[in-house]
Amino acid sequence: MFIKRQLAIIVMMSMGFLALSGYFLNFSVLREFTDRDAPQWYMIIAGFAAFLGCLNLLQLHIQKVVNKQKNWQYSIFTLLGFIIMIVFAFVYKNVDTPWGPHLKDENSSFYWMYNFIYLPLASTMFALLAFFVASASYRAFRIRNFEATLLLISGVLLMLGRVPIGAIIPWWVVVIMYVSFLFAMIASKIKNRKVFFISFICVNLLCLFLGFQLEWNTSTPLFLLIPSIQEWIMAVPATAGSRAIMIGIALGIVAQSFRIITGRERSILGD
Amino acid sequence: MSNLKQYIYFLIIPLIILIIYFLNPFDVFVDGNQLSFVSMLISCFMIEYFIQKAKSGEEIYMRPIPAMKAMEEAVGRATEMGSSVLYVPGIQGLDEIDTISGIIILGHVAGMTAEYESDLHVPCCVPIVMEAARESCKEAYLKKGRPDLYNDRMVHYVTDDQFAYAAGVNGIMLREKPAAVFYQGKFYAESLILAETGNSVGAIQVAGTGSSSQIPFFVTACDYVLIGEEFYAASAYLSGSSEMIGSIKGQDYVKLLCMFFIGIVFLSSIFNYFGIFVFDIMSLFKINIIN
Repeated sequence: MFIKRQLAIIVMMSMGFLALSGYFLNFSVLREFTDRDAPQWYMIIAGFAAFLGCLNLLQLHIQKVVNKQKNWQYSIFTLLGFIIMIVFAFVYKNVDTPWGPHLKDENSSFYWMYNFIYLPLASTMFALLAFFVASASYRAFRIRNFEATLLLISGVLLMLGRVPIGAIIPWWVVVIMYVSFLFAMIASKIKNRKVFFISFICVNLLCLFLGFQLEWNTSTPLFLLIPSIQEWIMAVPATAGSRAIMIGIALGIVAQSFRIITGRERSILGD
Repeated sequence: MSNLKQYIYFLIIPLIILIIYFLNPFDVFVDGNQLSFVSMLISCFMIEYFIQKAKSGEEIYMRPIPAMKAMEEAVGRATEMGSSVLYVPGIQGLDEIDTISGIIILGHVAGMTAEYESDLHVPCCVPIVMEAARESCKEAYLKKGRPDLYNDRMVHYVTDDQFAYAAGVNGIMLREKPAAVFYQGKFYAESLILAETGNSVGAIQVAGTGSSSQIPFFVTACDYVLIGEEFYAASAYLSGSSEMIGSIKGQDYVKLLCMFFIGIVFLSSIFNYFGIFVFDIMSLFKINIIN
């Protein structure tokens, strides 16, 4: 019981305290421990755990196949992949390169399996992300409330600003976009459609007239250029939001680490 | 704790430490980390102060966080539907604080599944995380008096590779159709692949991560998300212990202090720009280099 409870807590607290002290105390032994030895210890323990992981994977899938549990057919593929890679890594190399370096030899069977089976499969999974981004964006951009509308508008402006066509969109199109956005916001306040439509046209014409008078077609102000708007969105509101979250995350990490180092948070040890 | 003791613990002791640090006798401290040290000291003592306050019985209000309340609802829903609960602890090792937080939350979720007698499924990406997760679940089931419901197969290893893991977890989701899915840990590009698949099977999804770049994806695809510090506070919140909740209040006061400093920097930058106050306050914040 002492080993499982108290000793584990003592090790956790002392290691946490040592790791923290390594940043502030000028002892070369301590610094070497925190910078080099401790990560190496972790790697060694993780290495042993990797062996346990492989055993667990094998055990789980062999049991599935032997007991013919639900969806046991998929486990055959897992086991096959596992065994084939082990054979090509440790039993059959197909090249004259010595054992070990043969893993990086382009002509070895292991490399072939990695290059022509594993990599395309991983790339396929990664490529799926594009479709998932599209479906997620569709859901996020659906106009349900003011925030979703803002998200849609900034999303469209960002997308336009990041492609070449965004740079050639003339200022008057952006003016119409601004006016449309303004009228979309006040649309619920104006009940009479005719009044709404006429005022929309009039404001547009007025803005365009003003633009031509101020010679915006020769010297366009930055707020009417899509790439500049895109840059502003990324540099100001997006950065402000992400920094706020990052400050919160940093403080959360400090508090969590403090709870762990002082031994108050013991649930990681199952306590 | 009496006022005198409080005064000594939370004012005199930090002051003595600071004096020793800045005097730096025998060159004991690394030079250049002053800002980190001072911030760390203030944060730690402030958190400790509120922990002690909570311990002494002071009532601490904690605003309700929907995602944390939804965790129990999600497990309850899974039980009603007769489906399993899937818990994804991220793709990083135990050297990441996010993973540690994920494992801590797993303990609480496992406690809920033990109480509701619903199935729990924890596919792991890193073997060492699998071992920690097993221990956490085993203890949670034991604590709830249901060790009979626990089996080692509920926490299992899938693979170390990011996208292979995503494929494996997606497969589990599509085959088992869990009613509740939890994503708590460190995630990268696979976050959206997982969350969108979970969404497609109609699971109630609760996510939490410290990866700021993945939060938007989770917000889009999940029902509830623990954003930023909420994720780290979740374990304290779920434990219900007054000490732990006190630490969250301390953390909030540190945040208030940060806001105050941001305000000072903002004002002094304006004054500096107009030449009213010729001192670049930012230089104070640039001296700290942890190497």
